Amino acid sequence: MDKKTVTTISYLSRLKIDPEEEEKITSDLENIIKFVDQLNDAETSDIEPLTNPLEKTAKTRTDQVTAKNLKKELLEIGPSSNEDYFLVPRVVE
Amino acid sequence: MTIKYKTIKEIKKMISQKEISHKEIIQDVYKLVKENVNLNAFITLNEEKSLKKAENFDNNPSDSSLAGIPIAQKDLFCTKGLRTTCGSRILDNFIPPYTATVIENLENAGCISVGKTNMDEFAMGSSNETSYFGNVHNPWGDNLVPGGSSGGSASAIAAGIVPAASGTDTGGSIRQPASLCGITGIKPTYGRISRWGMIAFASSLDQAGPMARTVEDCALLLNEMCSHDIKDTTSLDNEIPNFEDNLNNSLKGKKIGVVKDLDLSSLDKDVIEVYENSLKEFISMGAELVDVSLPNLALSVPTYYVVAPAECSSNLSRFDGVKFGRRSKDPKSLEELYVQTRSEGFGDEVKRRILIGSYVLSAGYYDAYYKKAQQVRRLIKQDFDKAFLSVDVIMTPTTRGPAFDIGSKGSDPIQMYLEDLFTISANLAGLPAMSLPNGNIDNKPIGLQIIGNFLDESSILNFGHMYQTKTNWHMFSPEGVIQ
Repeated sequence: MDKKTVTTISYLSRLKIDPEEEEKITSDLENIIKFVDQLNDAETSDIEPLTNPLEKTAKTRTDQVTAKNLKKELLEIGPSSNEDYFLVPRVVE
Repeated sequence: MTIKYKTIKEIKKMISQKEISHKEIIQDVYKLVKENVNLNAFITLNEEKSLKKAENFDNNPSDSSLAGIPIAQKDLFCTKGLRTTCGSRILDNFIPPYTATVIENLENAGCISVGKTNMDEFAMGSSNETSYFGNVHNPWGDNLVPGGSSGGSASAIAAGIVPAASGTDTGGSIRQPASLCGITGIKPTYGRISRWGMIAFASSLDQAGPMARTVEDCALLLNEMCSHDIKDTTSLDNEIPNFEDNLNNSLKGKKIGVVKDLDLSSLDKDVIEVYENSLKEFISMGAELVDVSLPNLALSVPTYYVVAPAECSSNLSRFDGVKFGRRSKDPKSLEELYVQTRSEGFGDEVKRRILIGSYVLSAGYYDAYYKKAQQVRRLIKQDFDKAFLSVDVIMTPTTRGPAFDIGSKGSDPIQMYLEDLFTISANLAGLPAMSLPNGNIDNKPIGLQIIGNFLDESSILNFGHMYQTKTNWHMFSPEGVIQ
């Protein structure tokens, strides 16, 4: 874990790290990664990954509209919206 | 007449014998909230609507199982028209347009949601110190943490403000605060309770559950909370038993798994003594101890700290300042809107976990960390599958010790992560597990963990209830034994 890696993952996470916090965060992340490196002690060559304790595939259902259209309520709780859209700063000049 | 320290069962009796009206119950709750404001257990109160609902019950008596029972809801469940923050600045103005299925289930049974309880931000923490709304205090001591992340729920029950609360448990967030506050809490089998409307942290681990004073009350709540929900693809459609049915079964000949690989040497001898005394209590009721082996148990914490951050980094990408919640002021571009909103809105622990998640999921590290952790997760589950071939339940201490002082774990995140050593494996394997009070150390409560086989909540409730018929640790309050 070095500063360059931290810069990359903070970009991927859309998080800004203040320069004064950079050292502490880098060292915290490094310690956590060292801690989870214990996993290498386990022999897992023939083991299938377990992604979910139920191991069920999602069920299918009839393609029918059941939910009420909450457009108005959802737009109202948005930080910035008009009657049809959520508004964000201009993307295309 | 007060409901302080009363169980649901006792309050129901008070109502049926007309010792107290519904309105008086709710008025008493808010009086107790005000007397305990220093605990910081609540983020948002629901006073006006709760009083109105109580008056309705006074005018139109109901025989629903939770009619008029005041319940505090963890602030992680969406509640229509009632602010839901998840303990985070990024949601400090969020008023959901819908209610979580599990809360709807409880309210359909008549419960009154009196307020939203404080919690670690996005349920990431074991001490309630990561909440944007400040620490929760443990009623057992001024400077003690209540545990986390469902710390507000646990603290409110321990102080006797409400008889019960909802919680969620991703790595121990119901059981660890239950242990530290001297109450009972159960995380059912993954999939028993719908996650719809629960703000997601780590979707393959998150599970809601009840927190209360007794196992009996937990069984009653569980009956109402569990349901099959088509809105949650991981919701189970297996038959849901009546959890109150088998509480009194004899434990004669029942087998308790004791984990021989568990290294208890790092624990205080008082903690070991409390644990061993509980095992003796079960032996006196006719149960037998059987050694079981969970050889990969020690790897559960590192497995969790890959899987949970990976899922969290993905789940928390939805908080971008566009559709709901807080948005940073005057962003110059869309990119700046995302970055500033998230950087201002999330606290340190949440950021740390998002960063770890992005790291373990990124190209080049995916196989080494994420895939590897999921493989070890299967080994841990296989260990449990094998153990449950020969035992009915498995018992461990819930926590490494009683409540610790606020700020005492310092700034090393790993010290806090190890707090969940005994609880995390049940989440990784999707198993039901409960914590109930089994002792006091220096006048601070501590809990026993009972882990059950897949879908077998009934066994752990049976063991827990029988224990509470023989002991009175669940009757202790910060003011002494409840009469």
